[in-house]
Parts: sequence; structure tokens; C-alpha cells
Amino acid sequence: MSNLNIPTDFGPDSGGRVKGLTITKAIVYGNEARSFGKKREEDGHTHQWSVYLKPYLNEDMSSYVKKVHFKLHESYVNPNRIVTKPPFEITETGWGEFEVVIKIYFHDPTERPVTCYHILKLFQSPIVEGDQSLTITNDTKKGLVSEQYEEIVFQEPTQFMQHCLTNIQPLTNGVYKHDTDFERKKILTLENILDVKIKVKGEITALKEKLKLARETMTKFKTELAKVQKPPLV
Amino acid sequence: MSDIRDIMEMERPSTEVNRDSFLANKKQRQFERAKTTKRPEGMHREVFALLYNDNKDAPPLLPTDTALGIGSGYKQTKARLGMKNVRKWEWAPFSNPARTDGAVFHHWKRASDDNREYPFAKFNKQLQIPTYTINDYTTHLRTNNDWTKAQTDHLFDLAKRFDLRFIVMADRWDRQDYGHKSIEDMKDRYYEVSGILQKLKGVTTAGSDKKLYTFDAEHERKRKDQLNKLFDRTPEQVEEEQMLLNEMKKIDAKKRERERKTQDLQKLISQADREEERSAQNLQNSRKHEKKLYKKKLQSQPRPSRAESVVNAIEIGSTGIKFSDLRGSGVSLRSQKMKLPANVGQKKVKALEQAILEFKVDPSPPPTDEICNAFNELRSDMVLLCELRSALSTCVYELESLKHQYEADCPGKTLNIPPALQQPEEDESKNIDGISDISLREA
Repeated sequence: MSNLNIPTDFGPDSGGRVKGLTITKAIVYGNEARSFGKKREEDGHTHQWSVYLKPYLNEDMSSYVKKVHFKLHESYVNPNRIVTKPPFEITETGWGEFEVVIKIYFHDPTERPVTCYHILKLFQSPIVEGDQSLTITNDTKKGLVSEQYEEIVFQEPTQFMQHCLTNIQPLTNGVYKHDTDFERKKILTLENILDVKIKVKGEITALKEKLKLARETMTKFKTELAKVQKPPLV
Repeated sequence: MSDIRDIMEMERPSTEVNRDSFLANKKQRQFERAKTTKRPEGMHREVFALLYNDNKDAPPLLPTDTALGIGSGYKQTKARLGMKNVRKWEWAPFSNPARTDGAVFHHWKRASDDNREYPFAKFNKQLQIPTYTINDYTTHLRTNNDWTKAQTDHLFDLAKRFDLRFIVMADRWDRQDYGHKSIEDMKDRYYEVSGILQKLKGVTTAGSDKKLYTFDAEHERKRKDQLNKLFDRTPEQVEEEQMLLNEMKKIDAKKRERERKTQDLQKLISQADREEERSAQNLQNSRKHEKKLYKKKLQSQPRPSRAESVVNAIEIGSTGIKFSDLRGSGVSLRSQKMKLPANVGQKKVKALEQAILEFKVDPSPPPTDEICNAFNELRSDMVLLCELRSALSTCVYELESLKHQYEADCPGKTLNIPPALQQPEEDESKNIDGISDISLREA
């Protein structure tokens, strides 16, 4: 946190919130896992994994992130791991998948922490059609990677937080490379959504037409039925 | 041991027993004893504890307070004497300074306290009752018409005799000679006079700035009157008061309830207003359609059917999802924007999941602003789609039943359901990828 040069007049209470300003920070969280290839004798662990939180762009998150709290499965020795400096990452060994709670705290004490939930992935799940929720790449060299893109939205941050968010240094060493091409994924996803939207819209209009037809037919049928049913009444 | 020697007035042993050596000695003895009583093998601890406690005493029948504190209380079988030398007592005469007759009595006291004054003498407090001369009285004290000089004299005499114990003074007041005076009257007069006298003295000796005590007789009388009244209440009166208090509480509670209800109502009304505005816009869009529908209704006067009501609901545009647009300040994750609002029913959620799977859409896409909006719009459309589908299938079902009814009523004839309507039922079970050929067929 040495690169955090906050002038003393920027107290947490100084100024209040900046109206109308929204700052967005893109992040990536997930895990990578590598199999031992066999079950370890002493504890039955099969994989080494690390769960992480990374900036999407090349920037030093510690200028606005105070700490990151990784909550592991309760069977781990002290499952609440807190990382105060980048890289925000926990490396462990294990044999099972579970949900990791990643809670991100900010320097501004008035901002509440945000929470991400990540299902730790160790095994390549059978590919389900249409399930592209997580980007899972199975690289023989890197092992399995399961990560997710997310954006933190700061609506009307305080002046102090604005200062933290705008004065971000790029990372000089260890620039993150994402295993997933999120830019491409974003474009593809958006295209897909828009495509499907057109399809859905089309189907909606078609259905509306059909409904109209159905209603008309129904009234026709009813009048016909009324005609048929009338004689016995008379 | 030492205490016995002291009592027998024998010479003390050369090694003086002091507190430390005494305790050390004792501890040792206890330790030795603890060694000797050991729990026999196989005997339960609880049973053993009943037989042998620390001191081999019989178990106590009554709880004692000795468990607390170290070595305090009565549990010690031996009093801890002998820490100090014995001091002598002697039968000595004394005189009480409170007595003026100089009577001499005797009591036991410590020889060491030889020249001390009688310790209870300090409780003999003498009050300084102010005095006045006839001159003082005639010049300054004839302020109160209710009090004569004789009465005032009597009052001050009593004050001196009974040390300002006004209750006793009122009791001893000579009613035959001086008439009736209440405690308040007496207090009032006394403090009035003493105040004046103090002021007079204050003029001469400006040193004492003691505060003047002013007695508010009227207040005191009222206070006593109040207390008397309170005390004299009959049980019926007490009951009635309690009843009235309860009634007041009830009224208050009702009032609060009413206020709350009106607030709720206000909220509902304003909400409905907003709703109306929104639906007014929707209505404009579907007005044309509505008109047609209305005409049709006039023509055929159909009985209201389930299918119709579903369709109507859709036409008005009540379906779709309203996503919350996380406004306001603070940090949030963008993906929160894509969360389904809580008011979406379980059935809708299920249908939506199905549709998402069906169209092969990523159920949690990378949440950029653009994607979030597009995704939300898409899902809102999807809900509408699902509703329309189910509405259509209801319509078709109804048509089928009408057809069967017709066929039953006039055998040989039949009604033809348009093929476009029959298609999707079979199609749906297969896959809805066939939208394109449906639309083609329509065209």
C-alpha cells in the first residue's frame, strides 16, 4: 500500500458523495486447478488449486481495495483467509469442489463490501448444451481454469473513493494475462443475446398473430355452435 | 498454643508465632492429612466424596458461606487466635459530657484507651436555636399577625427543648394557653423569625453568608393535602382510576393504529396512481386492438373463457419482468442488475430457465452494461413468449373442445381448426427451433 498517496485533507468524511458520477472497475475472479494425477496418501487430496481475484485491466487494485476475504470450505484450517496485498490469491490443495465466498472491502469505510460467489472447479464437467456460464478451459499445461468476468460499479463514490479510483497505477511486474478472452466472449455473448432477442421477438409476433387467428376461430366456432344448439331451444 | 499461654499468663516461647509461620505450619499439616486419605481403588469419586471430604468432617447439612474467600468464615474448626498479643480490659469510671450533673458511671474499656473521651459523646449534638430580645421582637418580629409574642416565645422554647423536631413540638404545643397551631404554622413562624434574626446578625457581622432557608408553608400544606387525599381514596375510587388509565391506553393505541392505516392507504393510493400512468401508456398502444376486441364481443357476446382472460391479460401488457435499476449511491456488482426481482413467481422463473436453455443463451453472461440491458430485455421478452405460448395452447385446447362439442351436437359435420394453429402443439414437443419454418408457413 506504499503507492497509496492520499493527501491528508481527503478524510473519509470529506466532501461526501460526488453526484452523478459512476466509476466502473472490471475484475476477473475464479480458480485454476491442477490434478496430482493420483490421490495423495496422507490426506486424500487430489488437486492443487488457487482461487483468485484479478483486475481485468492492467491496474493495481490495491489503490481502492483494502482487503479481500476468501471464505473457504469449513473443513479447511482457518477457512477465513484475508489478503491485503495483491496478488489476491489463495493456493490450497483439496479433493472437492465447493463455493468460495469472495468478499471485497474498499478503502472507503462508508462503502460496503461486495461479495462474489465462485464454485471452485477441479473437474471438467461434462459439457451441457447451452451452459456457458463459466469459462472453463482445460489446458494441459495450466490445468483447469474456471473464471468469471465481473464489474464493480461505484455509484456516486465519495471524493476519497473517487481519488482512490482515478489514481491507479498500472502493474509494473506480473501483468495479469487472462486465460479467457473476455473481449471476444463479450462480443459473442452480446451477439448471441441480440440474435436470440430477434428470434424471440419474431416468435412473439408470430404467436400474437396465431392468437388473433385462434380468437377469431373461436368466435366462429361459437357462433356455429350457437346455430346448431339453437333449434332444440326454440 | 500461644493463646493458651497468654491466657495462663505463661511465658511465650522464644519463637514467636506470626501469621506466616502459622499458615505454613497449617498447610503442612493439611498436606500430610491429604496423603493419608486416599480413595480406594474402584470406589466412585462421588461416593468417596460423601465419605471423606477434605477435613473428614461430616458433610454439612446446611450450606455455609465458607466456600467463598480464603480461610474466612466458620468452617475452620479452630479459631485463628494468637496472631496478636492479648490486650487488657479494665473496669473504669467515665462521665458523659452531655450530662450536666457530672454523674459518674463505670464500664469496661481497653487499658490502652485510657484517656480517650467517652465515645458516644459526639452524638450529643446541640442545635443553635436563635434567640431574640424584647427589643428585637418589638422592632423586627411583629410581622405576623397570627402570632403573638407569647406564642412565639413558646415556640422557641419548644424548639430548644426538642431540637427542632417539629412533630414532637406540635405534639407538646400547649393548646390551652396558646391556641391551635399546625406543624406548618410552626415551621413557617420559626423559619421566618430565624431568617429575620440571621439577616439582622448579617448586618452586624457580615462574615456569615449562610443561605437563608425559606419555608414555603402553602406548598407544604398542599403537598400534605394531596397525600392525604391519595391515602383516603376508597377501593372503588382506586379501581375507577385504574380503569380510566387503561381506557386512555386503549384510546392511544387505537389512535396510533388509525394513523398507521391511513399512512398505508396513502402509500397504496400513490402506488396505484403510478401503476395507472404506466398502464395508460400501454393502453394507448393496444387501444386499436382493444377496439376490435370490443366490437367482436358485442357481436358474439361470448361467455368469458379462461383462454380469453389469459389473452386479455397479455394484450394489456402486464407480463414481462420489471428489473430493478440499482440507482442510488454505493458500490455494487454489475451482475446484481441481472438478478430476477423477488416478485417474479416460481413458475415464471422455471419457464424462463427453460427458455434460456432452449435458446442456448449463457445464463450468466459477462456483465457489461450493454450485455446486462440486452439480457434483461431478452428475458422480459422471453417471459412474454412463454405466456403467449401457454395462452395459445389454452386457446387451441378450447377450440378442440368446441370442435368436439360441435361434432357431438350435429354428427357428420365438423369444424376445421386452421392448420397454422394445430402446428405448434406438435412442434412444441419437438423443439422450438422451428420458428423459422412457422413464419415461413405464415408468409
